[in-house]
Amino acid sequence: MIDFKTKISSFFIFNSSLGPKEGEELKRILFFHPNQVTTDARKMQVGLCEAVVKFMSTFSSEPCDALQTQTNRYIFYQPEKNFWMVLVVRIPYTTKALSAIGESRGEVIEPTIMYDLLVSAYKMFRMFMGPFQNIPIEDIYTTCEEFFTPYILSKNITNDISDVIQGIHYLPLDKNSFFKVICFIDLLEINYPDFKCISFVYNDQLIWNALSKNDMLTLYQYLVQKLLPTQVAKEIQGDAVAAAQRHGRFISPPEGIRNKEDLQKLVKVYLMCEDDTETKQYYLIVYRTLSATVCFIVDVNTNLQIETFRSLDAFIGPQLSTIASTISEQCTIQALQNAQITSDTKFVYFNRLNLAFKSSVNRPINKLIPSTTLKPEVLSIIAGMHSDKKSLGNYGEIIVKIPDEYWITGKTSNEREFYVIIQEKNATLKEISDEVKRICEAQMKGVFFYPI
Amino acid sequence: MASTSKDNTNNCTAEQSNVTDTLEPGACSESILNPTDSFEEFASEMSSSLQDRDSSLTAKGSTISEIQSEIGESSKENAQMKNTKSSDDLQSKDGAMSASASNSNLTEQNGVDEDCDNEKDDYLQSPELVNKEKHVFILSSAGKPIYSRYGNEDKLAGLCGVIQALVSFIEEQNQDILRSINTKDCKAVFLVKGPLILVAVSKSNESETQLVLQLTYAFNQVVSMLTLTQLNRIFEQRRNYDLRRLLSGVERLIDNLLVFMEKDPAFLLGAVRCLPLPEKARENITNAIISACNKIRDLVFAIMIAGNQLITLVRMKKYTLHPSDIHLLFNLVRSSESFKTAESWTPICLPKFDATGFLHGHVSYISEDCQACLLLLTVQRDAFFPLSQAKHTIAEKLRRSNCLVAINDALNRNEELPTTNPLKHIGIPEIRHFMYKSKSTAQLFTSDPISLDRLQDYRTRHKEGGDITVKKIEKLSDIDYVRNYRKFCSQIHCTSIPAKLIFRSNSHDTVIAWVTNGFELYVTFDPLMEKDQAIRAVDRLIQWIKKEEHRIFIMNAPTF
Repeated sequence: MIDFKTKISSFFIFNSSLGPKEGEELKRILFFHPNQVTTDARKMQVGLCEAVVKFMSTFSSEPCDALQTQTNRYIFYQPEKNFWMVLVVRIPYTTKALSAIGESRGEVIEPTIMYDLLVSAYKMFRMFMGPFQNIPIEDIYTTCEEFFTPYILSKNITNDISDVIQGIHYLPLDKNSFFKVICFIDLLEINYPDFKCISFVYNDQLIWNALSKNDMLTLYQYLVQKLLPTQVAKEIQGDAVAAAQRHGRFISPPEGIRNKEDLQKLVKVYLMCEDDTETKQYYLIVYRTLSATVCFIVDVNTNLQIETFRSLDAFIGPQLSTIASTISEQCTIQALQNAQITSDTKFVYFNRLNLAFKSSVNRPINKLIPSTTLKPEVLSIIAGMHSDKKSLGNYGEIIVKIPDEYWITGKTSNEREFYVIIQEKNATLKEISDEVKRICEAQMKGVFFYPI
Repeated sequence: MASTSKDNTNNCTAEQSNVTDTLEPGACSESILNPTDSFEEFASEMSSSLQDRDSSLTAKGSTISEIQSEIGESSKENAQMKNTKSSDDLQSKDGAMSASASNSNLTEQNGVDEDCDNEKDDYLQSPELVNKEKHVFILSSAGKPIYSRYGNEDKLAGLCGVIQALVSFIEEQNQDILRSINTKDCKAVFLVKGPLILVAVSKSNESETQLVLQLTYAFNQVVSMLTLTQLNRIFEQRRNYDLRRLLSGVERLIDNLLVFMEKDPAFLLGAVRCLPLPEKARENITNAIISACNKIRDLVFAIMIAGNQLITLVRMKKYTLHPSDIHLLFNLVRSSESFKTAESWTPICLPKFDATGFLHGHVSYISEDCQACLLLLTVQRDAFFPLSQAKHTIAEKLRRSNCLVAINDALNRNEELPTTNPLKHIGIPEIRHFMYKSKSTAQLFTSDPISLDRLQDYRTRHKEGGDITVKKIEKLSDIDYVRNYRKFCSQIHCTSIPAKLIFRSNSHDTVIAWVTNGFELYVTFDPLMEKDQAIRAVDRLIQWIKKEEHRIFIMNAPTF
């Protein structure tokens, strides 16, 4: 794993229209990391970015994406008009320049990962704080400071396939188990009409979702990368022994919901449900039993009573723990089956439509244990294939051989992508292609890929 | 590096059937061209730090003075060379000074920005400039416009000021070098070379590296008219000098060069295209040149070219030409109508050969009925008459030995020649297009050799265009295929993760890009091509090239 924080030279957010006059440059800077940078240096960096954005706008109607210098890469993202988020990362222009700054290839982070980081940082911000433009000017500086500083410091980035292709791990279930989950959700929503169940997660795998595609990923990342790891850590420390006796508990807000005061601590989020057309503000409530986690939203205008939560707890607790054990049995069976077909081949599957992500190079839930990582070179090739969707079109296949006998195959079929990494000496194109076909059939039964 | 290349050989053996593993069509132990990979050279240049950059341009010795001293040139000239060198050394100091001056420029710029913005933007949005696929700007490090591919560079002073400010700001404040800026559909690439700043703003599918190479070519084109020594000296003396005064005529050369680079795969591969000729005919031409010129002591190169293709090159022992220098010569000849009417005597600086001085060139077309052009390059500044004499002898010999007919046949793409329509001759219907580079000799061959009249056609077509147009393509031209290869080339030539083999198949076509120690090959097939079928086709293709190699490539390296 790469120590990500040391790679970031700086991360800042600016809006040139906030301090239009000379001398007001500092007002344009909503947020600047690291904190110890002098105001002059901040102004200079932001000034450069403003100039670059302006320069490119004379040639292209698209917003500026990146600025590359000999040793740094500035990654730009304009989530809302005039609001620019910029990440400055040490990514040298050439590999030979790497040695000059004393780094090796393995430590260089893929630029696409950094761009995605900006996007997910913004989406997370928007989920909890709402869009930049809706935040009053006098609050925006502190809001950004309070949100982004901990966000940046807590963010772990690995040069990992799951960071190159951000997706969701779904948990495939048999009909009966899935039916139980659905019944549980329906029953709950009928009994508590103010509450809407938006996601059902087992470990780090999604079973049920009721959010629009964009928000689904953000919420999922929040759960899997932020909320659940801290929760699991707590459980390991022994908190959970008591909790488990009570079948389950509310884990958001973090102290649970025990009395009236806790109701004030409910987390507010901006989300869009699957069938809605606009984003609304809700309370987010997360409940967890064993390894199952359920998220609910309640309209912020609802008058909430502590009794409701008590009865909800009593209702969900026993039901959820039954379901969780059923799923747990399922998972054990699946694991046994999978063990029979697993080989040392590495593959990645991704569906852009529902963000389903499946990979043999999975990482553990909390990223504490390094997974069977891919070589950075291989990762870079896959990142290239993933971002260059156009060149394969709706149906296509690409096989690339790079040094050290690595063969990387990418296939697309409409919105689905499948990548296989094979390292084999003296292989021929035909052999590789046959092997890929075999893996595709074994792992992705029933999913169509060209060539058949 | 060494180990990977070894592995690579093993692989080819495995990938291909036994027949082709030893075949490297066009390979030759001795090459007239310097096969140094320009991509590798480029990479090392690009990785230099800010400090290295200032010194790199002045470090090289002068090849020309070396030749002159070898053939006993007067010592006066040598002394002059030394002078110019020491003045080069001053350049780096001056560079530092100018940089600090430009910094103050920036703050000024920021102040004025708001005022001149509107005016500047208006011109940039004018029909002359808007919606162009690729802009190229050249300016001095003081921010004075020198060249713009489109529009009037006078009106671009504002834009050039911004570019200069960006470049110097990053150098001064961040101790860094500005390389590129990207949007989703557009790349701006920056190159600072000596006293010049070159910028390409492109919406094409060319990679950053390919764009920087093109800027390097544009820089070399400027150097070829002035020499690096003179260029540096001018700006040492007057930082604010308006270089356009010295470059009248070069604009057109750069215009043509830019079009040439977009169309001809020779640039993509860093190789030279040879005019396919029967081995015997080429031998006769070479011998005619050698026998007419071997008495002329200070002749460095005798080059015969036709339609951007090399016919033969005879050289002084020890010296070879770099493909990029030959490309500049192609461009010079193609762009200068005046060479057609009279024998010319012109100073030419070949930047890769020796950027510090001029060679003197006798340039003339062989005869009125043959479009081959002969360049005799010497270090002697008053050798016009002996060279003119030699040229007439050569022309006479070629006519008598029927070589002119052979050249004309090849140029007019006579149907009977196997190289005129290689795909038909090879007889593999699934192959739509291919291009092949022999690495050891830096020569290339494509399935669709460019003929003279078609080159003219590109030029006229380009004049109308340069704009981005979305047209429905009914039949792909060879240019479209080459465009398609750009991405493959950049992956193959990538210095960090060089791909060895790429097979890509989609609903439009199937492309194989394959590189070994000896060659690079790019083939476009029909879509849905089976892999083993494609490999077999590649096999046969390579065998065909091997069979025709003596016709397609120059397989020896003659000297005077």
